[in-house]
Amino acid sequence: MAKFHPSVDLLTEYVAGILPLAQSACISAHLNYCPQCQQQSARLQDLGAVLFESLTPVPVGDALLNTVLARLDEEPPLSYRRAQDPAVGRLPALLQRLMKGDFSELSWNKITSSLSISYLKTGDTAYEFALYHIKAGGRIPEHTHRGSEMTLVLQGGFSDAAGSYHEGDFLFREASDTHAPTALQSEDCICLAVLDAPLRFTGWKYRWMNPFLQLRAG
Amino acid sequence: MKNAGATVEEKIDSASNGWQGPTGRRTDEWSECLTQIAATGDRAAFTRFFRHFAPLIKAFALSGSSLSAAHADELVQEVMLKAWQKASAFNPEKAAASTWVYTIARNCRTDMFRRLQKFDTPLAADDFMPDQEPSEPFAMLQSRRSRDTIHELMGTLPPDQAQILAKVYMEGKSHAEAAAELDLPLGTVKSRVRLAIQKLQIQIDR
Repeated sequence: MAKFHPSVDLLTEYVAGILPLAQSACISAHLNYCPQCQQQSARLQDLGAVLFESLTPVPVGDALLNTVLARLDEEPPLSYRRAQDPAVGRLPALLQRLMKGDFSELSWNKITSSLSISYLKTGDTAYEFALYHIKAGGRIPEHTHRGSEMTLVLQGGFSDAAGSYHEGDFLFREASDTHAPTALQSEDCICLAVLDAPLRFTGWKYRWMNPFLQLRAG
Repeated sequence: MKNAGATVEEKIDSASNGWQGPTGRRTDEWSECLTQIAATGDRAAFTRFFRHFAPLIKAFALSGSSLSAAHADELVQEVMLKAWQKASAFNPEKAAASTWVYTIARNCRTDMFRRLQKFDTPLAADDFMPDQEPSEPFAMLQSRRSRDTIHELMGTLPPDQAQILAKVYMEGKSHAEAAAELDLPLGTVKSRVRLAIQKLQIQIDR
């Protein structure tokens, strides 16, 4: 069960429907691993419903009622049960939808000998939404961020100076935190990362790459 | 099912206090009404449902004045049509009708914002709902208590906290936008939200 969770602040914005799409997708993916956060969200949603019921009603004319009544016989849009693709195990359906296949079918950009990144298209033009593949025991060079970074562990795990993180764990870092995550020795680690500014490597060995690390939002 | 309408009216009369029976099945007026719509496609029931909820959905659409009156009407239409089409998926043991309608309205409004901003995304707001919702009786009981508690405690919130909640939930303002609008530091907005959530006993241990 996940040990690291989004703050109540973030969950409130998520439930109220005001988080940017890419961040919202990351939180939604975490909820699929985390019954506690689902329950917390359900309560925050109850709060929304209570506020909704206490709005001052704005009159709606009969014309609109009649328009809706006339449309009741329309064929409803097809609905389907979201299926889990066994090839990608227990990944949240939302991610499967964006990936359109399993991890091996994605196109991976090799950044260092132990880090590859695959960019997924969400339609959110302000945030990069990407999968990071870190080889077992591999290290992401020490880096910092100019913006915020959400991370969700999808497979394996990693650790940094602040702790160690496993499947379903969620981390949110604000701008200018510096860290150097290392994948656990036992298996490769795959994380989802949502960024609004590109990584900046801080060590001399990788700093030359910074100009090439553009944000790939979209 | 010919006298079904009358039966429902009787049930509503006998259960106007909200809860009934150890199963905790919801028997409030609008949950009954929605169940009736699902069971028999009753248009009279739908009309009552519309007259109650459409003005709330319109108010929700217009809060924060981010949608025009025409878009607000379009949203009302979309939400009510969805309520009709999805009525059979409503489970009165899991949620109150008002929570169910609020969720549809929120998702439709989010999708409408994204359409208006010309987002080119493969995702709709419904896709963000968790794959499986908690179904254990304990979780459902908690949820029912939570909603009633929130309802009762709402009146005890200081106005500045209630105002921020309305901005975030109804007007769809982020904490940062609410802070800019009220000319308050972001930290103050966040702490008011947190205090309100504590007072309403919403926070759980995670």
